[in-house]
Amino acid sequence: MTPFEIIQTHYCRRDLAARAWKQKGGKVVGYFCDNVPEELIQAAGFFPYRLSGDPTGTVEIAEKYPPTGTMAAPREGFVNSMFNRLMTGEYDFLDFLVVPHARETIHRLHQVLAEIKDQNPSFHLPELYFLDNLHTTFYWSGVYNRLRWREFKTTLEQWSGKEITDMALSDAIAVTNENRTLLKKIAALRAADPPRISGTQALRIIGSSMFMLKEEHNRRLSQFLDELDKLSAKDGVRVFVEASPLDHLQLYDIIESCGAIVVGEDHCWGNRYSDVLINTAGDPFEALADRYHNKSPCPRMFPLSRRIDYCVNSAVSAGAQGAIINVYEFDEALMWEIPDAVKALEEKGIPSLHLRNQPYRIADPDLLTSRIREFIKSI
Amino acid sequence: MSDTIAGELKIAGEMNAYQRKWLANVRERVGNGEPFAICNGDEFEEIFNAMDIPVMVLNYWSKIIATEAKASYYKKVLKERGYDPLHLFFSLGLACAMDNNPETAPWGGLPKPSVIVGGSKHDREMKVLELWARECGCPFIPMEFGLNTTPEQPPLPPRWWERMRDHWDELIDPDRLNVRVEEEKSLIRFLEITTGKHFSPAKLDRVAELINEQMDYWGKVRDLIAATIPCPVSLPDQIAMYQAMWHRGTEMGCNFIKAYYEEIKERVEKGIFANPNEKLRLMYIPATTPAYAGFLEETYHASLVCFGYSSIPIDCYARTVHNNDALRTLASRHMVLFSETPDWRLKDAQLHQCDGVIEVIDPAMPSLNKPLFDASGMPLLSLYTDKDTRDIKSRLSRWIETTVLPNHKGVTL
Ligand code: SF4
Repeated sequence: MTPFEIIQTHYCRRDLAARAWKQKGGKVVGYFCDNVPEELIQAAGFFPYRLSGDPTGTVEIAEKYPPTGTMAAPREGFVNSMFNRLMTGEYDFLDFLVVPHARETIHRLHQVLAEIKDQNPSFHLPELYFLDNLHTTFYWSGVYNRLRWREFKTTLEQWSGKEITDMALSDAIAVTNENRTLLKKIAALRAADPPRISGTQALRIIGSSMFMLKEEHNRRLSQFLDELDKLSAKDGVRVFVEASPLDHLQLYDIIESCGAIVVGEDHCWGNRYSDVLINTAGDPFEALADRYHNKSPCPRMFPLSRRIDYCVNSAVSAGAQGAIINVYEFDEALMWEIPDAVKALEEKGIPSLHLRNQPYRIADPDLLTSRIREFIKSI
Repeated sequence: MSDTIAGELKIAGEMNAYQRKWLANVRERVGNGEPFAICNGDEFEEIFNAMDIPVMVLNYWSKIIATEAKASYYKKVLKERGYDPLHLFFSLGLACAMDNNPETAPWGGLPKPSVIVGGSKHDREMKVLELWARECGCPFIPMEFGLNTTPEQPPLPPRWWERMRDHWDELIDPDRLNVRVEEEKSLIRFLEITTGKHFSPAKLDRVAELINEQMDYWGKVRDLIAATIPCPVSLPDQIAMYQAMWHRGTEMGCNFIKAYYEEIKERVEKGIFANPNEKLRLMYIPATTPAYAGFLEETYHASLVCFGYSSIPIDCYARTVHNNDALRTLASRHMVLFSETPDWRLKDAQLHQCDGVIEVIDPAMPSLNKPLFDASGMPLLSLYTDKDTRDIKSRLSRWIETTVLPNHKGVTL
């Protein structure tokens, strides 16, 4: 298999590496979102594994446990899907599960999972951990986040039975930094003119990094980049994607089947995962804390202007000619940003197509294809 | 018997009139250059009150807009701007600000705020308030956490309401509370700089005292209502009085509830009741009056004697100040107020000597109260609407006739 084929295999069979690790006696720490410091998990000797949904799967069990509370937001399809997969045993290889304070529907999963675990042990849920972190990047939020990350470190040490030394943490940081550096090269190849990597290829490369051991991912990715000359130039209208979390390829497949190429994006399964490195000078824990406190913002973060700047700067630096905005049904974190994003993109000469209230699994691909094709033609 | 039927509660009329006058007065003060604030309910009002900065609570404002039947108009306003909110009620204030038209806005609209404050507990809350502040050209100050961020915390213990007043510190994570206190201090500093108003700890102590005094009166009213058969005050009047909650920690707010208590006490002494022919007592869980209240009274002589908020003042808002630190005590209140646990609901229904409870819930959600209510023998009816339709009436009748009445042997209708 070529390095890319190996990467692609891990994107499709997302549990492959984690199950192999488990078989060798290792333990797996699952987590949601892109704001859980993977480096700590890795430094503790565990396999960090990000959960994702499955748009082709069902959500029957998850729907039996709807969110409760007067103002509780309904869960987006991808959140219900991840929840359902935990309940069906698809994630039975997880030893621990970290639920971060992220978008509301995700952090609320902690409570419902804890209740189920308590009342219905037959579901065999992993040991749960709630990792708080705040919505602002103010000074006091940073003080608080550090406190919680230190507690998380201590918990990992208890789980593994050994101390996470500065050396182990620095090593883990070196590995993830290398990974981010390689992923930034991928981003640059997409933003190149002409692009050398397609959006669907990029999503596979970035996503698989969260399902594989980082060292292995780095190795395969380096090999892939070594054979750059084999990559043909892509042509097509350069499209930027602003979206709710896209943990699958459906949308990019459609866009790229319409004569366009996705040159960059703003969502947590794309470039946003890897565009900020950890400073390696100084205390490794402080550097890690600093990175997670100030990393590229996801829609749950304050303020709006920072989010819009991030979206527009990413689109401009990718040389986008147009933007496709895909907002899932119930994604309130993103929904309120879109009118601003549309306007700001327009001011930079980037027209956009706004797809509202989209189902997690694209319900009518033909209809969507024709809307997107029409938009691409109009650019 | 007609002389024993209560008319409108005098103090409720005064409360309604006061609210309008209050807003007119605020508009005048703002016109004269004074600051004005908007904040989410229970987030920070007391501190604004202590600093003499008039504050509009956005839940209350949304309710006024919704009561004036402006919701569909404002939905259009939002749509035109590209927003398609899931939770329109919460976005009404933003829409009203976007529309910026005193002719359409209820009560002529709000004056320009100097600051908007809100929590980050819901993704929507932070976004809506930030947009609202931008619309008004004022800063938005986000406060981390916010009320009842319980999803991340262990659930409140059984009979939590018995610990809320004196042992609130056991119900809240101290690290989170530290952040909140720091945020509140920063906000106070910001207000001092930008408005020229001063924050006086002594004033805040007085605010804390007044809150407890007000809540104690509220507790006395609740106990009177609970103990008195037939019920001395109608549900709409009870709900109208809840507006005094927006004037927490002020002499005015306290006096309103004291007068409420005295009026009810007088009614009880004189034998004046909301529904003298009361045969059944029901609890209604939302904080509204359902459209079928009249049907229940006429057909079954049933009174709605208490509602979802009846015990909130005394069970949740009253807090003992620890270590002379009123700010920290209040900050705790800004973070943990109550949890709609079935044991709390059942306690209220039993305290009010109810024969049954009607709750309105989301059709997609199972009733949280049902298992405990079934086990306790307290009849519970879960409905999906408060509208008066033929179907709802027949469900109510079936429930009363097959579940409530057989349970309540003494009643003959
Ligand atoms: S956008 Fe943010 S909160 Fe939402 S799933 Fe991605 S990382 Fe989590």
